Amino acid sequence: MNDVFLNLRLSWQVVVRNWTVYRKDFLANISPTLADPALILASLGMGLSGFVGQIDGMSYAQFLAPGMIATTALFTAFFESSYGFYVRMTFESVFKAMLTTPIGVNEVVTGEFMWVFVRAALMGLGVALVLLLLGLLPNPLALLICPLIAGFLSLPCAAIGLLASAWVRNINQFQTVYSFLIAPIFYLSGVFFPIPAGSVLAPVVQFSPFFHGVKLIQFSVWGHGGWNAILWHAGMLGGFTVLLCVLSYRFIGRKLTT
Amino acid sequence: MNASPIILARGVSKRFGDFEALAALDLEVREGGCVGLLGPNGAGKSTFIGCLYGVVSRSGGELGVFGLDPSKDARGIKRRIGVVPQENALDEGLTVLENMRIYAGFGGLSRKQADPRIDELLAYMSLETKRDATIKTLSGGMKRRLAFVRALLADPELLILDEPTTGLDPSVRHLLWEKVIELRDQGKTILVTTHYMHEAEVLCDKIIILDHGRVVGTGAPRELIEREVPGFVGIFPHGVDEELRKHLPPEWELYHQGRQCCVRAPRFDDLLELQRASGHTALQLRPSNLEDVYLKLTGSELNEDE
Repeated sequence: MNDVFLNLRLSWQVVVRNWTVYRKDFLANISPTLADPALILASLGMGLSGFVGQIDGMSYAQFLAPGMIATTALFTAFFESSYGFYVRMTFESVFKAMLTTPIGVNEVVTGEFMWVFVRAALMGLGVALVLLLLGLLPNPLALLICPLIAGFLSLPCAAIGLLASAWVRNINQFQTVYSFLIAPIFYLSGVFFPIPAGSVLAPVVQFSPFFHGVKLIQFSVWGHGGWNAILWHAGMLGGFTVLLCVLSYRFIGRKLTT
Repeated sequence: MNASPIILARGVSKRFGDFEALAALDLEVREGGCVGLLGPNGAGKSTFIGCLYGVVSRSGGELGVFGLDPSKDARGIKRRIGVVPQENALDEGLTVLENMRIYAGFGGLSRKQADPRIDELLAYMSLETKRDATIKTLSGGMKRRLAFVRALLADPELLILDEPTTGLDPSVRHLLWEKVIELRDQGKTILVTTHYMHEAEVLCDKIIILDHGRVVGTGAPRELIEREVPGFVGIFPHGVDEELRKHLPPEWELYHQGRQCCVRAPRFDDLLELQRASGHTALQLRPSNLEDVYLKLTGSELNEDE
């Protein structure tokens, strides 16, 4: 038990390190994660609303709104743990020095997950507040629940980024990961259009942790969703999180030690 | 002196696929003093250092650091060592203080303990005026000194220096040597890798020479010189081999270093006599040194028969 506490304390030091670096360039760092959802909401929400009409009794902007919280979680997590982590690992040799201290590989990876969780939760809260101001958050309780879901959703997304960091041979290859994995996950996720149970996409998206996170956030923002559906999506999200995180501990471990 | 060694390696090996980076390495580092690990690039120095704190997992053999096994208790070891890695790996965008606070945190120091310790060590390394400077504004020598500060934060018993002065100007090098000697005199155990033989002679009480993952020579610098290359060396220009050979007693050695022709003789006067007899003036006449030992043991000195 003492060991677990010490491991977490050391992992938290990794968060402190990342935060110290992050806040140096706070505005440049925070703006894209807020600008992306704002742009989507403004352009698609306003631009398409007139053409799309109602979806499940909602305007298109109301339909898009919860997806923006999920979007910020996905991109915060993926970019931090792919480009961000890769730069720390290779160009900055951060871990070469860090691993000479009592911090081990597991604390490095746990620290990265904690860091991404905190950031995604805070960004999720930020986006939720904006939605509230725009009148797109009908369930005020979502203000509390959504940041938590965003935090948990960021974990499998970060794991994908870490696995990509372990896999790529140079930094340009992240573009491939983005185009062939992250972009499809993002566009085919139920953020932009509903994926009803009988559709062709329905069985496919079950394999995307992002889809399940989007569902949970939608339930929470719209304030409805059956317990069965909530349990299914939470269970799937949890399962993918465990699987992907375990894999990333393993592969990052192999990358940082020989 | 009969306490158990700080580092004890018995038959330590490490393979990367077909490549044998360490081959049944045996070595011992006892408490106190400075031990130099020498060897060509790829001899296994950095691999061995990585094994000591668990970032490289050995393929076989017994290894103990403070009596702990790095593959089982790396953290227990890392609490008691300080490492100056080959690359400084400082966060370029942060200030000196921010950087050191982060590492104090990694070492388990609270903010209250950390700040006075950081100030003390910055002063020790003559960096106290740079406390709030951003890393990227520091010179190479300052960054290196800061890497020393970082390694010393948790007051380690064993200090590992991986090529500490590579690429630094002579004045910084001398400053760092002075600090290393002071730390050694304070009772810390120091393990240093270097390519500079003079550095090894200045700092180390004991030298371990590695080649192809094996120990090829161990001893005090003087001892190694006396044992491996006793006497004096005359370095002659290219193309005088045949002339010199005519005047060479059989027990003297003639070998080449690059294009130069070297003769090792027991006494200085022998070399003067050789100059006179052969009519060729040496470029340099000097006592044998650690570099001669190194070149001989790592096979970089090409014998005339090879």
